[in-house]
Amino acid sequence: MTGVRPVLEYGAAFAVLVAAWWYASGPMGMPPYLLPSPQATVLALVREATTGSLAGHLAFTLRSIALGLALGAVAGVALAYVLYRVPLLSTLLDGPLVVLQSAPKIALAPLFVVWFGLGLEAKLALVFSLVFFPVLIGALAGFRAIDPRLHDVAALLRLGPARRFATIDLPAALPGIFVGLKVGGVQALVGAILAEWISGNRGLGFLMTFAAATYKAPLLFGAVLLTALLGVALHLALGLAERRLLAWNDADER
Amino acid sequence: MIEIDGISKVFQLRGKSVPALEPLTHAVPEGRFVAVVGPSGCGKSTLLRLIAGLETPTSGTIRLGAGPVKRPVGFVFQDAVLLPWKSVEANIRFPLDTAGMERARSDAVVRELVALVGLRGFEQALPRQLSGGMRQRTAIARALADDPPILLMDEPFSAVDLLTRETLNDELLRIWQRTGKTVMLVTHSVEEAAYLADEVMVMSARPGRLERTYAVDLPRPRSEETKLDRAYHELVAALRRDLRGGEAPR
Repeated sequence: MTGVRPVLEYGAAFAVLVAAWWYASGPMGMPPYLLPSPQATVLALVREATTGSLAGHLAFTLRSIALGLALGAVAGVALAYVLYRVPLLSTLLDGPLVVLQSAPKIALAPLFVVWFGLGLEAKLALVFSLVFFPVLIGALAGFRAIDPRLHDVAALLRLGPARRFATIDLPAALPGIFVGLKVGGVQALVGAILAEWISGNRGLGFLMTFAAATYKAPLLFGAVLLTALLGVALHLALGLAERRLLAWNDADER
Repeated sequence: MIEIDGISKVFQLRGKSVPALEPLTHAVPEGRFVAVVGPSGCGKSTLLRLIAGLETPTSGTIRLGAGPVKRPVGFVFQDAVLLPWKSVEANIRFPLDTAGMERARSDAVVRELVALVGLRGFEQALPRQLSGGMRQRTAIARALADDPPILLMDEPFSAVDLLTRETLNDELLRIWQRTGKTVMLVTHSVEEAAYLADEVMVMSARPGRLERTYAVDLPRPRSEETKLDRAYHELVAALRRDLRGGEAPR
């Protein structure tokens, strides 16, 4: 199966949404301060882009997401592996981890601002905390599902711990890791936007609060639209990576 | 050469000691094909895992006269246990890659092994696209990849159908004759043991111990003719009698 079908599906859904939007804002006569037309929204985005600040906002948000996702994923996989290899540690840390995991990280966002300031660090901290747990849980499930006989193979080949991790444990746990990553990817976007709402003066989240505060409805809609597109792009990118890396794990062939 | 000297294994299961293998002493000369038969629970798999170093013995020693080789044994499991994300070729290459052999040399070795186990045309296939028999051929090629002097096989053909099994038996004999390796094959099929081996070790269960050994002096190379040989049938009957006897006391 190629990547054409999901693109078509997303495209169709998007087209229907835009058509409904256009109808509501035009022929149906919703006032523009409540629902700006698609044209006005695109125009506002274009204007924001040409005055030069849109690219900067987009880049800032993208950077928080990418960095937070990468750091959270690496840390999540790393701790999962330590817990997997040291069962004693996993029984000790099980309780604390459940508490941390079920704590609403979003509610900690203001605290992160206090701790890490108004810049990138606070955004990263929030995104990290949102990505870390799903990846940890997914990776742990992935590691625990490894066929123990693969470790016999590793022992027969006298693989050292690093070699064994890179050649056997990590690839074998990849399906589990991706389950966590896909949850974490959505969370990362939410975290980045939310962190920009509460503090700082950059990013798509900031653009939204700025547009709302200054009654620029078209710009607000534009920022929301961009964020939605970003979410779709993130989802597609993770899906693509999964298909490439996990082709061997497809259940439906044969 | 495999020198087993008073090897035994006791497993600890929830605080209880479960003897899996009574002290066992036996020597397998280099290049010999030995089959191990016995009822389930007789410790034959444990014996193989001890020789491979996958378990540590409770007592006794094992000497593999293999010289200074980093990986003295190749091991074939009951299921192929391939890396599911690697192709046939990459699975066979895996021992070579992790030993640091450069690509040009390992390419040649892999090509030769693929031909040896009859997998030409399937080099790029993933394990899940293969039949059980083909997966097991891949596993045999992988076990042979870095040319270990000893090949240990733990019921390697018990998961494939009978016809495939007989084909694989003949191919194993051909491979063994080509490579001259010391082979130790655990099986629950007395026919397979009699057909393949120079020597058959009969083990009995609870606790696992070596009951007796048979020297198999059927002529080589063996073929369908062998299965018509009177001596073959007598050996199969004797082995079966031994196994039945070993199962009786409950």
